[in-house]
Amino acid sequence: MSLRQSSRDLGLGVRFAFAGGREGWMRAVLTALGVGLGVALLLLSTALPNAISVRHDREQARLDWSFTEEPPTAADNTVVIANTDTTFRGKDVRGRLVEPEGPRAPLPPGLSAYPAKGEMLVSPALKRLLASDGAKLLRERIPYRITGTIGESGLIGSQELAYYAGGEGLFAHEAGSNVSRLTAFGNPNPTPEAPDPVLALLNIVVIVMLLMPVAVFVAAAVRFGGERRDRRLAALRLVGADGRMTRRIAAGEAMAGALLGLVLGAGFFLVGRQVAGSVEVMGISVWPSYLNPSPLLAALVAVAVPAAAVLVTLFALRSVVIEPLGVVRSAKPTRRRLWWRLVLPVAGLAMLYPMLGQGRSNGSFNEYLVTGGVMLLLIGITALLPWLVERCVARLGSGGVAWQLAVRRLQLSSGTAARMVNGIAVAVAGAIALQMLFAGVDGQYTKSTAQDLSRAQMQVTVPADAPMAATVEKFTDTKGVRKVTAVWESYLGDASWNSENGPQLAAELTVGDCAALREVAKLPSCKDGDRFVLDGSEYSVDGPKMNVPGKMLYIESPTSGPASAPEKEATWTVPAGITQVRSIEDPTGSRRGGFLMTPAALPKDFEGMVRGELYLSIDQSVPDAFEYARNTAAAVNPLADPTAWTASTTSDKFESLRTGLLVGAICVLLLIGASLLVAQLEQLRERRKLLSSLVAFGTRRRTLGLSVLWQTAIPITLGLLLAMAVGLTLGAILLKMTDTPVGIDWSSVLSMTGAGAAVVLVVTLLSLPPLMRLMRPDGLRTE
Amino acid sequence: MNAPGGSLLVAENLRKAYGPTMALDGAAFSIHPGEVVAVMGPSGSGKSTLLHCLAGIVTPDSGSITYDGRELATMNDAQRSQLRRSEFGFVFQFGQLVPELTCVENVALPLRLNGTPRKQAERTALGWMERLEVDDLAKKRPGEVSGGQGQRVAVARSLVTSPRVVFADEPTGALDSLNGERVMELLTEAARSASTAVVLVTHEARVAAYSDREIVVRDGKSRDMERVV
Repeated sequence: MSLRQSSRDLGLGVRFAFAGGREGWMRAVLTALGVGLGVALLLLSTALPNAISVRHDREQARLDWSFTEEPPTAADNTVVIANTDTTFRGKDVRGRLVEPEGPRAPLPPGLSAYPAKGEMLVSPALKRLLASDGAKLLRERIPYRITGTIGESGLIGSQELAYYAGGEGLFAHEAGSNVSRLTAFGNPNPTPEAPDPVLALLNIVVIVMLLMPVAVFVAAAVRFGGERRDRRLAALRLVGADGRMTRRIAAGEAMAGALLGLVLGAGFFLVGRQVAGSVEVMGISVWPSYLNPSPLLAALVAVAVPAAAVLVTLFALRSVVIEPLGVVRSAKPTRRRLWWRLVLPVAGLAMLYPMLGQGRSNGSFNEYLVTGGVMLLLIGITALLPWLVERCVARLGSGGVAWQLAVRRLQLSSGTAARMVNGIAVAVAGAIALQMLFAGVDGQYTKSTAQDLSRAQMQVTVPADAPMAATVEKFTDTKGVRKVTAVWESYLGDASWNSENGPQLAAELTVGDCAALREVAKLPSCKDGDRFVLDGSEYSVDGPKMNVPGKMLYIESPTSGPASAPEKEATWTVPAGITQVRSIEDPTGSRRGGFLMTPAALPKDFEGMVRGELYLSIDQSVPDAFEYARNTAAAVNPLADPTAWTASTTSDKFESLRTGLLVGAICVLLLIGASLLVAQLEQLRERRKLLSSLVAFGTRRRTLGLSVLWQTAIPITLGLLLAMAVGLTLGAILLKMTDTPVGIDWSSVLSMTGAGAAVVLVVTLLSLPPLMRLMRPDGLRTE
Repeated sequence: MNAPGGSLLVAENLRKAYGPTMALDGAAFSIHPGEVVAVMGPSGSGKSTLLHCLAGIVTPDSGSITYDGRELATMNDAQRSQLRRSEFGFVFQFGQLVPELTCVENVALPLRLNGTPRKQAERTALGWMERLEVDDLAKKRPGEVSGGQGQRVAVARSLVTSPRVVFADEPTGALDSLNGERVMELLTEAARSASTAVVLVTHEARVAAYSDREIVVRDGKSRDMERVV
């Protein structure tokens, strides 16, 4: 066989792919569409690592913490920056007040100049939000005049809500963790984080499980129009083509579809990239420029997809004998053998077995073994399913006409049916396993906050200079706030906080009315003017030791610290007769120590030196109740920090991985749904004449519709059962690998399986209108 | 053409266009119970369209079709389907057997569509297969039998409900002359013995020779031919 002959055969195949008039084009376009969707998803996957890395880099570049132990002193190259992050109807808004202290003050990424006091620069998304009708409350909270937008380099996503507003006198609040003085933005010495083995494992498994169904889908797409192609090849055999030539021609035809699919896929990806820039999923958005596929991986996709198309075609032709007088598929196909189909999942299990019980403390998992093992287990589904469908449908008996038509069709070509549901089965198995793994390790990444949501649902930290009584009154008058528990806090030490060594003994000072103090301690009696010392705290135990009559205690001022000049040194001499009381869990779930004072007992010098902690009970039946409370906080002081309480918090990385899985799973299910629909329509088109003749002799359309439903429902039921078995096995193995007790959350298993079944149902419903059209008598016309 | 008295199926002044193409342009037709009528004409003359209209598969743009005194135009789709299931039988050029059903299941299919239990339907089907000399193929699938055998199975299927009219559209078009003749012999014998009328669309004179009467369709118009023996 010469190279010239081979290329001529391949070229003939390419021509055949587009020959045949409208129908030929349709077939080629369907194949290309299928391959194109798969390619676009593959390119997206290769671009995701880059997107994550760019987001991370941009986040690092704009970090505005002081990375030195001592904050720098004010100079012409420093800026004071205050964190005023907020939340608006569940969306995070990154807020900063900035105050440059000289002409050489560093600019954060995305800014070319600092905004003046009362002005702000905003992200494009925040600009749109503020201009919208429903953002009145947010406009009240961020009342600054917009004078420009933040450049792309200063944002981590196209939909990020962010602003930089000009501030004044910010350094006075430096003692609060929200204010820093900087000479530069970003972390000058970033230290690479040691990867968490379990998160790394999750990462690998998520990627493999999302890409496997895509690969299965691409394999199915290149087989669109297979029966018609076989008939064409038979005609070629009649005019002298030999068996090898017909295979090469078929390969050329598949390659043409795949190449066109590559072009379409690249187009879809470019369009998708632009669309991705305008959407936000679970709070995460990207700029189109972030989605740059790695050149190596993109090249791999460009080579692998056409190669896979050719291989799949040749593999599919192995059981077909193309004779000059027609295509011969053995009328009684050879029975599928189980042994080699079992080899794949068993080999997968063998690859994963050595890592059982490794846990997170024994180093990283071998990524090659994990990838290989998971892939083999999932490919095992595509090998086992045809065998399972064949065995099961062979045992199905006769029922009504619709059932009989469906069962007989499945008995004759169970492989086609199994191929159609392979993608769904692989996706569901992967999703079940991942869901199990996520649920199993959830506890390691989700921590209970200990906050008592029955006592308060929001906490507001108010800077020290806010007037106590007026602040409480403002919150009490806020719409949607039921109750305000306000305590004011600072620290007392046995020596000046500005001295070289600082105090040896230190304890908290909590100020509040009797009702508020009863939230933190068990008080025998209480009236304004009383003081108490707390016992029973787990961590703050110096209070009773400092309760020595005549002892002078120093309050930590908001600007205390060796680097700052002491503006005022306020002291308090411990009087005799302070009652010792037992602390109880406060609304945050901790037991505090130190001294308690009612407002009348607070030394005059301490006023303005205690910051407020207000615990708000919110009437959640009032719409936007949290937003009103946040607005009050901003009105009291822009640096006030309101936080809505939750029962638990989840690790960011874990959460973003879970988001990634959700987004990926939706894309994959949509893709598979599209593939199923195309395959279904193609099968129906192949049977157009038969369907028309069945209708001609009086078959009810309902009967044919039901038969189509059974033809899909039977293999999908078997596919989902197999997917559940493989998914649960894989999930259990992954949990064992992470040394986590194996547990099955049946509701999520069933919801995954239900999602798969729903896709099939939707596809069947969508294919009914074309089915009805194909049953028209036009199908009987031959001229 | 005036419909002769006692006609089972009568069509008058039928018109049917597919886009700009006039498939039927004033065609007429009639058939008596037990009569075999050949509809002849060149390719594209409109003979298959006439058959589809007569069988209630296609609705003509104008004209009337009366079956046993009932106007087809007044029936809805479900009623016409019911008519085709119970009163009509069909044979097409390529048999159009359901490839995944066995031959006996294919023959039994019209009975099953009428609600006959499977075993009873298959018993009746086997009886007809015996008459058409294909009972030995009962368990085989259409892909495993020859073209002539498949067409005889299709004829058995068209007769299994004891229809009053069988519509045969080029039933021998895909067969060699020997097989074609055998199929025609069996079809017309079986139809006549059951007093079943046969509307036979063909372009072959030797096939039309099995009919009692011939109608020629040309450019969408029909004309009764005198049989020259």
